[in-house]
Amino acid sequence: MNRRADKLGNAVIHIVAEVRRAYRLTRGVLAAGIKMQWLAKPAVTNVVFRQIYFTGVESVSWVVLVALGVGVLSVYNIVDFARSIQDMSLIGQLISDLLVTEVAPLIVTILLLSRSGVAVVTELGTMHVRGEDLTLSSMGISREEYLLWPRLMAFTLCGLILTFIFVFVSIWLGGLLVSMNEEINFIDFLIEVRRGTTMEEIVMLLVKGTLYPMLSAIMLLNMGCKVGREPNLIPVYATQGVLGSLMLVVMSDALIALIVGLS
Amino acid sequence: MTEILHWDELHLGHSLIPASHVNRGEYVRLVMNYPCQFSFMQHMFQLAQECRESNWKMWLQSEEAIYPSGTPEFSSHIGSMIHHRGIIANLTLRENLLLPFLYHGDQQRLECAADEMVEVARWLELDSFLDDKAGERTTFTHALVSLARCMLARPAIIVAQEVHIGMPPDHLERFRRVSMQALEELGSGLLYLTASVDEGSGLEYARTLTIAQDCQNSGQTEGE
Repeated sequence: MNRRADKLGNAVIHIVAEVRRAYRLTRGVLAAGIKMQWLAKPAVTNVVFRQIYFTGVESVSWVVLVALGVGVLSVYNIVDFARSIQDMSLIGQLISDLLVTEVAPLIVTILLLSRSGVAVVTELGTMHVRGEDLTLSSMGISREEYLLWPRLMAFTLCGLILTFIFVFVSIWLGGLLVSMNEEINFIDFLIEVRRGTTMEEIVMLLVKGTLYPMLSAIMLLNMGCKVGREPNLIPVYATQGVLGSLMLVVMSDALIALIVGLS
Repeated sequence: MTEILHWDELHLGHSLIPASHVNRGEYVRLVMNYPCQFSFMQHMFQLAQECRESNWKMWLQSEEAIYPSGTPEFSSHIGSMIHHRGIIANLTLRENLLLPFLYHGDQQRLECAADEMVEVARWLELDSFLDDKAGERTTFTHALVSLARCMLARPAIIVAQEVHIGMPPDHLERFRRVSMQALEELGSGLLYLTASVDEGSGLEYARTLTIAQDCQNSGQTEGE
C-alpha cells in the first residue's frame, strides 16, 4: 500500500514539475517573441525564415497531396451518404463539421509532427549536447529568442496557413474530382458547402489551426531542451516529443468538443 | 579602460573556487577538472534569472558600471574561446564570425565587423573556407574561429577553456603563435580554464589557481 502511494506521489510530483517546466519555457519564449525586438535582429530573422521555409514551404506539396486524398474520400462518402438519404442539404453541414473543423487541423498537425517534429527535438538536443547553448549565452544571445521563438512561430504560423490550404484543396479538388464522376454538379456542391459553413466554424478552424501546432511546438521544444549533455537521450526525447504532442492535440480536441458541447 | 572581472568564493559541486579577479591585460589560469570548468562557465554566462537578481557572485567592473554575470551586457564585454564549443555547427564560418553582431542588430558595428572580418580571416588563413559549414571543420578551425570572433569583438576579458587541446603538433604551434600575437594586440585580460598546468598555451600567467576537488587544498601560485 505504502509503495503504491509512493509511486503515485512520485508520479504526481513528476507531472507537476514537468508542467511547471513547460509553463516557464513557454512564458520565456512568448515573452521573447512578443517584445518584437527580434525583428531588428538579422540573426534571429534569418533563423525565422529558415524555419518557415523548412516547416511551411517544404510541407506544402505533402499537405496538398494528403488533402487531395482526404478530400476525395470525404466528399465522395458525404455526397454518397446525402444521396442515399435524399437530403443534399446535409453535404455542406457534414463537410463543415467533419472536414473543416475536425479533420483538417488534426491531419495538418500530424503531418507537421511527422515531417518537422523529430527534426526540432533532435536539432535542439544536438545543440545542447554540443554545448552550443553555452556558446550562444557567451555571446549574449538569448536561447529563447534565437533558438526557441523562431521554431514556435514557424510551427504555429505555418500550421495555420497549411490548415487553410488543406481545407481549400480538399474541398475544391475533392469536389471537382467527385463531380467528374457525375455524383453531383460542382457548382451545386460549392453552394451547399457555402450554405453549410457558419462563421463559428471558421473561427473554430482558426482556433484549432493555431492551437494544435502551437501546443505541439511547445511540447517539442520542451523535450529538445531536456536532452542535456547525454546524446543517447536524443532519440528517446524525440519519440516522447512526437507522441506527447499527438496526445496533447487529441486531448485538446476532446476538451474543445466537450466545452463546445456543454455551451 | 580598466575593466576587471571579479568573482567571489564559488562552490561548484564539491569544489571551492577562491575569490579572485582578472585585470585587463593580465593572464590568469584556473586549473580544475572539466565539470568544474563547465559549471564555472555556466555561472558566467547562463546564470538563471532568479540567481541573477539575488545571488550573483561574478561581475565585470568597468569605469561606468558593474555588469553581473549572466546578463547580456556582461557577455558582450567578455569574449569566449570554448574547447569544441566555440561554434554553432549548422552555420557557416562567416555566419559564426558575425553572429554576435548580427544578433545585437547594431548596423554600424556589423558593417565594421564585416569589413574587419576580411582582414582577420586572411591573417588567420580562414578566408578560403568562410562559406563552409562550421560542423564540418576541425578543432583547429573552431579554435581559430573563436579567436577571430574575439578579435572582431575586442572584449575586455577573454575566457578560454582548453582551446589548445586536441590539435596536431603543427596546428598547435601555429595556433599558439597567432593567439599570443592576437592577445598582445587586443590587450585583453585572459582567464584560462584548464585541467592541466601543461595545457600548452605557452602564455605567461600572472597567477595560477589550482582547485582541488575536496574543497580544502585549493592553492594559488604567482607567475608561471
